[in-house]
Amino acid sequence: MLRISLDDLYQLWKQRIEDRRPFQYIVGCEHWRDLVLSVQEGVLIPRPETELIVDLVSDAVSNNEELGQGLWADLGTGSGAVAIGISKILRIHGGVIATDLSPHAVSVAMFNVQRYGLQHVIEVRRGSWFEPLKDVEGQLVGIVSNPPYIPSDNISGLQAEVGRHEPRLALDGGASGMDYLLHLCNGAAAMLKPGGFFAFETNGEKQCKFLVDYMQNQIAGSFCNLNILSDFAGIQRFVTGFRQ
Amino acid sequence: MRRIHGGGGGGVGFKWSFNLLKQKLIQSGRNTNHWNRTSILQSPIPKPCSRSYSTESQMQLSPNLITIMEQRLSAIEHRSACLENFMNQPEASPAEFSRANKELRKLRGSMELITYLRTKQKEIDGLRSLMAECPEDKDMLDMANEELSQVMEEEKRLQNLLLKSLLPRDDADERDCILEVRAGSGGEEASLFAMDIFKMYERFSQNNGWKFEVVDITESDSKGYKEASAAISGADVFGKLKFESGVHRVQRVPVTEKLGRVHTSAVSVAILPQADEVDVQLRNEQLRIDTYRSGGSGGQHANTTNSAVRITHLPTGITVSIQDERSQHMNKSKALKVLCAKLYELERSRLHTSRSRLRSEQIGSGDRSERIRTYNFPQGRVTDHRVGITHHAINDVMQGESLDVFIDALLLQQEMDAIASFGSIE
Repeated sequence: MLRISLDDLYQLWKQRIEDRRPFQYIVGCEHWRDLVLSVQEGVLIPRPETELIVDLVSDAVSNNEELGQGLWADLGTGSGAVAIGISKILRIHGGVIATDLSPHAVSVAMFNVQRYGLQHVIEVRRGSWFEPLKDVEGQLVGIVSNPPYIPSDNISGLQAEVGRHEPRLALDGGASGMDYLLHLCNGAAAMLKPGGFFAFETNGEKQCKFLVDYMQNQIAGSFCNLNILSDFAGIQRFVTGFRQ
Repeated sequence: MRRIHGGGGGGVGFKWSFNLLKQKLIQSGRNTNHWNRTSILQSPIPKPCSRSYSTESQMQLSPNLITIMEQRLSAIEHRSACLENFMNQPEASPAEFSRANKELRKLRGSMELITYLRTKQKEIDGLRSLMAECPEDKDMLDMANEELSQVMEEEKRLQNLLLKSLLPRDDADERDCILEVRAGSGGEEASLFAMDIFKMYERFSQNNGWKFEVVDITESDSKGYKEASAAISGADVFGKLKFESGVHRVQRVPVTEKLGRVHTSAVSVAILPQADEVDVQLRNEQLRIDTYRSGGSGGQHANTTNSAVRITHLPTGITVSIQDERSQHMNKSKALKVLCAKLYELERSRLHTSRSRLRSEQIGSGDRSERIRTYNFPQGRVTDHRVGITHHAINDVMQGESLDVFIDALLLQQEMDAIASFGSIE
């Protein structure tokens, strides 16, 4: 009856209970929005909060048809969740480039993209943030990202499933947790077309407010209609805006 | 779909005591055959121009009803002429013009039929005067008579179609629905019967080629259903299932009963037409969405496999919790679907009460506390109390096979009630 032996099952049980190996790594997949995504060690398990980024993009596209027909980028795509999620919103001529520095992530993302038959819509490129996107500078209509945003000091105190098993590369955002978010803001100014949209996930209220303040004052004139949005738990989780 | 066929009633094994049928408003074309009216059981009502009716099954409309309808028809003709006249005036503003145009478009279907009816009526007049002019020409009379009967048959057909198109319709009939089954009085036995009823609708949906999606099930201790809900989608789902709302009573010996005594318990069923967010104008700020979280920062900090979502509609306080889907997004969209249906039903019942037509009282108020049907297992029968029909093959009913017996009768009654109140509206 069982597809694996009792001994193997016991080993998995031990991994889950004693080692606190995430359930999603044990079964090799995560249900996210209406997708079933393959995940494995070395790739961040997509979070339920991040599902909302797709809704944010969907709202933006429904307000401006042009956004649905252009080129998008998902930076630090991990399993490819957000890229696959938003690719379903785009119309013909629309496409997504998904980047990740981790070769594990790139191969898992490619696998997931192929599983959903989206190779013609999503291109997965390996590299750090905007580096693999030099050929499309100033041509993007949208950028989305769930970059590592946890302050380095907090990494050791994380829930065991996260801290002991998920890739630090996908979690650690430097001393303040803002290293990559700030990098994304600066890069987005150069990469986005005028009118282009961005949505970034953050650690919470403090980071959201800092980012908005940064964009309004430090790089004033680059972005407009900045907005902070909360997740279902009421935590201010996302910053969105448009390239001026 | 199984139909009730004339004359076959006794053979199929149900007992009719359908008082409403005796209403004098409609006199059947063939007195011996009350059930030769399959035409009016068809739903949805076809567009006025479709010709799907066989002349054989035409019902004879009473003179009374024809008079009322004639008045209605001339009113439509008059209105339509007025509108056309108005639209030819150069001084009509664009807004007025488009409003008139819209109204005219609505009348167009009826107008086509009316024009056709008028030409047939002229033909009848022509034939009659022809027959009056030459009473001695036998061949001519025979021919004219034959033609007259054909044209009159056609007139009758058109009148039937027009009557149907003029009857008030429930816009929700074509919608999908949410089914809710709740165990009532009778404890564990009620929950077991709730499960049986729920599965009956599941099979009935399968037999009809509808999609039956379980939304949520709360089991009782004995593995029955305390509460269960499903989303049913397909053609005319609500139109057929809407009469199922109400209390279903069961009389049987529960599996838990040692002494073999028959118990009576009850299950309540609600059928809500499915609505989308546009129908109920759901606004984000009216919703509170709660998800499972252990506190803390969430996001990248947390790993969870719990995707349950609870939505609260703040203005009404209605809450819907869904946890059986595997992602938060899916649970949320399911919860929204159920919430929309609940709000839409709330709005409908508000409208319904404010209209309070005779018709609604006759069909059953749609009140969930109204006892509509009894399933008596020892006697192997199911009785619908609204139409007084008893079906003696309870197992077929529970297998979702004979439900049409009741549904068709209820649809027929609905239509007859609509005809009855046809003259009284306005």
